[in-house]
Amino acid sequence: MAVRGQEIEPRALPLEEQVILRHRVGVGTQLLRLAIHKPLGTFGVICVLIMAVAAAFATGVQVPLLGVDLPALSRYKPEAVFRMANPLYDPDAFNPEALSPTTLDRQSAPTLDHWFGTDSAGRDVWARVIIGARRSLGIGVGALSIATVAGAFLGVISAYFSGLFDILLQRVLDAIQAFPALLLLMLIMSVMEPSILWLIIALGFVGITQVSRIVRSTVFSLREQPYVEAARVLGANDLRLMAHHILPNTMAPIIVVFTIGLGTVIIAEASLSFLGLAPPGVSWGQMLNEGRNFIYSSPWQAVFSGLAITLAVLGFNLAGDALRDVLDPRLRA
Amino acid sequence: MQQYIARRLLLNIPVLFLVVTFVFLASHARPDWAERRAAQGFTTGMGYEEAVHQIRKVMGTDKPLYAQYGDYLLDVVKLDFGTSLLTRNPVMSELKDRWGTSIELGILEIVVACIISIPIGVISAIRQDTWLDYILRFVAILGLAIPNFYLATLLLLVAFNWFNWSPPITTYAGFFSNPMENLKSMAIPALAGGFAVGAVVMRLLRSQLLEVLRQDYVRTAWAKGLRERTVITRHALKNAMIPVFTVLGFMLAAMFGGNVVLESMFRLPGIGQFVVISMQQNDFPVVQGIILLVAMILVLTNLVVDLSYAWLDPRIRYG
Repeated sequence: MAVRGQEIEPRALPLEEQVILRHRVGVGTQLLRLAIHKPLGTFGVICVLIMAVAAAFATGVQVPLLGVDLPALSRYKPEAVFRMANPLYDPDAFNPEALSPTTLDRQSAPTLDHWFGTDSAGRDVWARVIIGARRSLGIGVGALSIATVAGAFLGVISAYFSGLFDILLQRVLDAIQAFPALLLLMLIMSVMEPSILWLIIALGFVGITQVSRIVRSTVFSLREQPYVEAARVLGANDLRLMAHHILPNTMAPIIVVFTIGLGTVIIAEASLSFLGLAPPGVSWGQMLNEGRNFIYSSPWQAVFSGLAITLAVLGFNLAGDALRDVLDPRLRA
Repeated sequence: MQQYIARRLLLNIPVLFLVVTFVFLASHARPDWAERRAAQGFTTGMGYEEAVHQIRKVMGTDKPLYAQYGDYLLDVVKLDFGTSLLTRNPVMSELKDRWGTSIELGILEIVVACIISIPIGVISAIRQDTWLDYILRFVAILGLAIPNFYLATLLLLVAFNWFNWSPPITTYAGFFSNPMENLKSMAIPALAGGFAVGAVVMRLLRSQLLEVLRQDYVRTAWAKGLRERTVITRHALKNAMIPVFTVLGFMLAAMFGGNVVLESMFRLPGIGQFVVISMQQNDFPVVQGIILLVAMILVLTNLVVDLSYAWLDPRIRYG
């Protein structure tokens, strides 16, 4: 009664495969090694993951097939708008009477009930910080998607065709870059409906120049590579060369610029919200602005909402730096 | 050198033209929307249609687009950047008293940035890969991530809790009428804005200095037996500062953007605060006029920085 595993002896394998086997390391070990090697990058990735989890599960999620309700991180439920994020909160014992304005905890310091304290309206700051992640991340990813697709397209064709087209396009980008980003945003927002969609489009538009510049410089060096020449000799046309041979090789810088760009967009959105020029909603910038009015009496709202912005931006910057080192060491400054 | 100047000028003129065109397109792309929003704020005593008609006349949007574009270009050449819907004054005259505050804040920020970043950058470079270097670099990374309005908020807290001091918010004195009071209101915004600029400068200075310190002439200076201080300041730092100077010039745009927030946060009556107020009051001609003016000034500043870079570093001219 031989066990299956015993039928194959290690020695039966050819030498090369033994070597490969010995060197095969589990994913967990690999990640651990990377984490020790790049502590700052790991810290950044952790910040980003926390933000993503907060954005995804802020209001709780129903898992369709399993029929399970994942709990809401923020406990931001309509019937408990004011008493969210209480780890000891028991929905059955919930008493709406306790929510009458006179008994509200306004501007309370952090307690077990309210981890980050409450704001001037008695709302839980932790809940609003968690919910705010959704807006920052959503606007960031939306804007960067626009910027990346448009910027990569312009960058590739600009560098590929070069010549007059390139010179003209670069002047247009120069002109866009001449504006301070925040003022350009205000210019666009001043003539468009104040909606989240237009905010995303405006932020994406402002980001195009950065993405296209980086893609363009990458394509310039790729264009002369032997494998591109070889593909051309084989009869590939311009479109095929760009789509199949050049674009895939610009992915590393694009991923890096996407990650770092998210941090920039989050700051821009927070600045606009801070100034009260962005569409209303639960946003970190707007919370910081509100909290500023009570900065001396109850600084919690301002401190924690600002901390959320800082950690999010720091996270994306550090994660982007680490990604650059891993994906494309040539880009290291 | 002349050829270099000529080439730079030729590249910048179309950019200036495009900047004007871009603001024109942005402000005239959706005239109906701008009118409607503007009309909401200015219907005092008028019917809605009447107000829209009035605003159309003021903004000139009753003419065809190409005629508007021609008028617009002509106005810009005559340095007419539009008229406020609210006060009916030209934008230029509204700005007259506001330049000083913005420029002062910018200068203070650069001073703060240099005071912070030059020593830190030098220490970080000459003690490369020590724990001190790691800490200083982390501070710089943090400086890039922290929004200046959050840093300013934290500074307010620190000043109040540790030194029992808070800046005057409701009153503002000009620098020339009352320098002490003026600096009191400027202190925290200048520190907060300067820290962000300093973080960029420090990172750049560190990498530049590391490169320069490996050059032959620095080794020669060491070999002559000069003191460390002399080698660093006289031979290395001087050359490492050239790109820093350029980057400071190019960062003016970013600084101005950041100062829009700081100025309105601390109620400093500068251009940035004026843009935000005009925006909140739906006074679009002012918003667009200021933005155009600022962008044009920045294009010209970049040109000057470019040219002075070529003058400082002869290698650029022939590159």
